[in-house]
Amino acid sequence: MKKLTKLFLALSFALSVTTSAFAVVAVSWGGAYTESQKLGYGDPTAKKLGITIDWVDYSGGLSEIKAQKEAGKITWDIIDVFAFDTINGCDEGIFVEFDFDKDFPAAPDGTPASEDFFAPMPSKCAVGNILYSWNYAYNKNNVKGTPKTIKDFFNTKKFPGKRAIYKSALTNLEIALAADGIKPGKGGEKIYKALETEKGVQRAMDKIKALCTDPQGGCVFWSAGAQPPELLMSGEVVMATGWNGRFFNAIVGEGAPLVQVWDGQGLDYEYFALVKGGPNEADAKKALAMMTNTEMLAGSAKYIAYAPYRKSSLDVIKAGEPWYKDGKTEMMPQMPTAPANTKNYFLVDPFFWADNGTELGEKWEAMKAGL
Amino acid sequence: MSSEINKILTTDGIPLEESLKKAERKNKIKAFLLVSPLLLFLIITYIFPIGEMFTRSIDDKMITNMLPNTFKSMETWDGQEMPEEEVFKSFYIDFKKLVEIKEHGKLGQRLNKEKNGFTTILKKLFRQIQRNKIDESGSFKEQITSLHKRFNNVEYWRAIKRTAPPYTMAKYLKGMDLYLDEKGEISQVAEDRRIHRILWLRTLEVAFFVTIFCFLMGYPIAHLLATLPMKYSNLLMICVLLPFWTSLLVRTASWMILLQQQGIVNDFFVMIGLVTDDSRPEMMYNKVGTYVAMTQILLPFMVLPLYSVMKTISPSLMRAGKSLGGTPFVAFWKVYFPLTIPGIGAGCLLVFILAIGYYITPALVGGASGTLISNQIAYHMKTTLDWSFASAMGLMLLTGVLVVYWIYNKLVGVDNIKLG
Repeated sequence: MKKLTKLFLALSFALSVTTSAFAVVAVSWGGAYTESQKLGYGDPTAKKLGITIDWVDYSGGLSEIKAQKEAGKITWDIIDVFAFDTINGCDEGIFVEFDFDKDFPAAPDGTPASEDFFAPMPSKCAVGNILYSWNYAYNKNNVKGTPKTIKDFFNTKKFPGKRAIYKSALTNLEIALAADGIKPGKGGEKIYKALETEKGVQRAMDKIKALCTDPQGGCVFWSAGAQPPELLMSGEVVMATGWNGRFFNAIVGEGAPLVQVWDGQGLDYEYFALVKGGPNEADAKKALAMMTNTEMLAGSAKYIAYAPYRKSSLDVIKAGEPWYKDGKTEMMPQMPTAPANTKNYFLVDPFFWADNGTELGEKWEAMKAGL
Repeated sequence: MSSEINKILTTDGIPLEESLKKAERKNKIKAFLLVSPLLLFLIITYIFPIGEMFTRSIDDKMITNMLPNTFKSMETWDGQEMPEEEVFKSFYIDFKKLVEIKEHGKLGQRLNKEKNGFTTILKKLFRQIQRNKIDESGSFKEQITSLHKRFNNVEYWRAIKRTAPPYTMAKYLKGMDLYLDEKGEISQVAEDRRIHRILWLRTLEVAFFVTIFCFLMGYPIAHLLATLPMKYSNLLMICVLLPFWTSLLVRTASWMILLQQQGIVNDFFVMIGLVTDDSRPEMMYNKVGTYVAMTQILLPFMVLPLYSVMKTISPSLMRAGKSLGGTPFVAFWKVYFPLTIPGIGAGCLLVFILAIGYYITPALVGGASGTLISNQIAYHMKTTLDWSFASAMGLMLLTGVLVVYWIYNKLVGVDNIKLG
């Protein structure tokens, strides 16, 4: 019995050491993505600063941190969040507001941080991490011909077969309008202007409805990022929208016969937010500044095909090609921001979705219920 | 004299009645002390959170305290035309105060839940105030409405007026696709946004059919388990329990692999010539997929209570029924089946209640029809952070389950439930 008690004490001590107050807790989405963050900039930063960074998985949303705050015991320091969440979290007073040029280092050539970022931050509580793409891919063994445009995704006459699309309205309404003939304009502003009106929303819903009820077409709705490549490889669908990093991993990592189409892609961002009153706020702030500097951000692109948020990081990648961890794949053409991939694209508008997300969500579900 | 005779005394002279009571009281206290940890546990983990959920779902004090002047000036406004300058002025005063204490973001969040589009326009107003662009001697109505066309839309001001009372039933109404209009009457939301009623019905439908399928499949299995010799029944029991111990996601994913159009089951159908290659039936990402996967996942919850009840039924009862002249069917229907009703009740109630709160499996395999009411609750918990609406829907779901339980109690009787 005594032995058992001793063992128990030792165990609890060991546990308390590993989750000690000295470690900065960073929370992210898990899988290959967190792996790229940990290896790309988490571990190097921790080593340089002489601190520990623990990576914890979560499935998005602000509910957990809000609950921690309400319970009065915050255990997270840094959270990897959508733009939408940084806006909400900032409004709710969950995150720390930044002064970008003061809190974050300038690019190597002296450009201040705020100008080095690919786009302005959606809120004062966000610092850019990566850009990723909502594009689509097809299985070249199952499709006759080569789909090239976003219109082809909706063209069931030329390319019959089922499509996989994201389960909620986000980005689906945008691509529907882009395929219906609306020119995105600069960063997709024309699409969002159209979606501000009832007519535009109806038009987008009708386009999706037509695709899903078409006997030559049909829809499968995906919810997890791993699903689109899987659905394509099994032949369940002929085309699928998805996240470019997942397609890249399937193609380069697993040799899947998939082809990505970049026309009409939606560029989206991922951010870090610093929790106000986190267990280790001071260290976390230092770590965050270092993780998002030019060199460090470029590091994550060694492991995954997402573009670093700083323009200067791209120069680091260019100079170091082939940059991918296998030592032979060039990363620049794989980036969602590569010139060849951004001929026709829209920027996913977080303000639009922060404003209209709930209402459009209801309309979207009502449309889906009528399929 | 006679009363003394009637009173039976214990050896130490105390009346027996009192002595018994004393002993009983001790036992009662002991018993209460024994269950008190459980009672405490129930209060802390069950009753208290439900109470908290309820207050959260009706409490709307935050905004009442945020816009005191606005609501006061709105009292005389009938909600038909655009409000007067007075309302705009008091709204500006309230909002400016919120900007000073950095709470304006919370107001935007709250109002955006009432009417989508508030976040942006309030941020615009915030920026104007920050830059001191609002001339406090001029007309507030003119200045505010010129900021964004939404400020000129009476709908938005009605939405503010609706949030005035400190307690509200609005969330419950919203859960049934209703709302209180500016006249204070309950009316339906626009047709293209009526989603919750569809989801409630769909949730009930899925739970109902899954329960039926589980019963139809579980009953023979449980009977077989109860009547086979130990050697075989143990093996069969493992077959029932093994999937029970496997992760839910793994089982769901295996059904996806099996049933999809290019999946193993369809390949087999094509191979034996049941269907042609280009007319493979769709068994995944629709209701069929949901029913198959959920039935398989919930089957053990039906089989186990049924089995434990059937195990106690003596086989001689069926023999007696048959020897008294009943056909096997009559003997089964008149003797065996009524004896299994406690098990059926327990199994059906278990499966139904579990199914009504399910959402991962339907979301993955159900396709367009895969959204159930619990998905909506999770969505408001995680994405929109509208916890009061999520609480309201959670309580509505709980009430629904209690109603089912009540109906069941009327029909079968709760005393008849037997889990083993």
